[in-house]
Amino acid sequence: MKDLSWTRLPSTDNCGTMDTRKRIGHRIGHRIGKGPARRNLFGPVDREQLQVEYQAALQEDLEEACQRWGFDFISDKPLERSDFQWHAIPANKVPLLYRSCMLGPGRTEGQRTAEAAVKPKGQGRVEPPQSDKENIPCSPERCALNMEKTPERRENTGLKRKQTNITDFYQAKRRVVWMPLKSGE
Amino acid sequence: MELLCLEMDTIIRARPDPNLLCDDRVLQSLLTIEERFLPQYSYFKGVQKDIQPFMRRMVATWMLEVCEEQKCEEEVFPLAMNYLDRFLAVVPTKKCNLQLLGAVCMFLASKLKETRPLTAEKLCIYTDNSIRPQELLEWELVVLGKLKWNLAAVTPNDFIEHIVRRLPLPEDKLALIRKHVQTFIALCATDFRFAMYPPSMIATGSVGAAICGLQLDSADQSQWGDSLTDLLAKITNTEVDVLKECQEQIERVLVSSLREGRQQQQQQQQQTQRGPSGKGLDELDQSSTPTDVRDVNL
Repeated sequence: MKDLSWTRLPSTDNCGTMDTRKRIGHRIGHRIGKGPARRNLFGPVDREQLQVEYQAALQEDLEEACQRWGFDFISDKPLERSDFQWHAIPANKVPLLYRSCMLGPGRTEGQRTAEAAVKPKGQGRVEPPQSDKENIPCSPERCALNMEKTPERRENTGLKRKQTNITDFYQAKRRVVWMPLKSGE
Repeated sequence: MELLCLEMDTIIRARPDPNLLCDDRVLQSLLTIEERFLPQYSYFKGVQKDIQPFMRRMVATWMLEVCEEQKCEEEVFPLAMNYLDRFLAVVPTKKCNLQLLGAVCMFLASKLKETRPLTAEKLCIYTDNSIRPQELLEWELVVLGKLKWNLAAVTPNDFIEHIVRRLPLPEDKLALIRKHVQTFIALCATDFRFAMYPPSMIATGSVGAAICGLQLDSADQSQWGDSLTDLLAKITNTEVDVLKECQEQIERVLVSSLREGRQQQQQQQQQTQRGPSGKGLDELDQSSTPTDVRDVNL
């Protein structure tokens, strides 16, 4: 193969790639999108259609989650046919942080996630006025407001934070042991 | 008194950890789990109706350019392409949403790998504002759902150090070899034919191509014992024939990519000679060669 010999040619300047990044950085500096990399590849986006597909995709995800956990997250009830047994725990038995996260029925998708943020009241604890905790479910609309700002670290709020698990609300007992082997998809 | 903050532009990186890089179990684990993160189907033959392989290349090239311009960590681009392929393998996607998807994938990969990730606004500017930050954030959620939140995918870059450390290579060439390997890996990520290959094979093939390209294999044949390919194949448990084929494929892609790059340069030169009237051509310029590779002087 004649072509392959290209890559084997003796070269004095093979170091070319070494400084590419630096040179590119130098050339373009920190101005964004002045160079040719700023471009629209496939024409205008159909925003309405995009919104429809977005809602449909979220709905699909929600249904998948319902099936997987045997729990109807919309009506907030365990499904009848489920691999799990769900036991309700009184709200006052779960840490404060999780209480108003309960998703009520009859609310629309967007509202539900938006209102899921916890707002404890009258507990004598100092809470940030607008919750900036990373664990709190937060709709994109909400995030868009203070997007890209690193949340300020707040000390001494007196709350231990941890990842919210579904088992924080319900104890899960696995009834059926068989589970499909999880793969990347 | 004025206070100066001198920490602005230094990016703090962890040093290579010998506990991780010199332990055989780490490489074995990577080899065991890597297949989990491969796209499940060759999606152009089934799932996708609207988009074509050349469109993937367009969006990949654009993503690479953005990563280069923003000086992202090396693994951001291959990881973003992994997300893109896995998403496309399960979700039929329209052509007009492909760039949005590419931006979302970079957004996610950058957040996973970088101390200072790309911002949504920046990415939207790079799409020439054809998408809005709000849409980017909404689709971030959708992509995460489809990827089942499995973001810590194994990339070819994860194997570089493990492979290089096991080869008798001159110390003073290591930085150059790494750089070339990274370039080959990025090149593979832009080409759909490599999308279904296990990351370890792409990494091994890229190391082979880099060493051959730099002619480090012919300098002293005796030090290699087995041929380079045999040695490489052993490290990542790849079949020798398959590895050879992969390396040759990488070399072919490089050659055609360089050729395109050269043609493009000529076009651009002609354009500048002709003056700004040639703007129509400029818009057609799909810049299908990774910038990095174009700068390889062979």
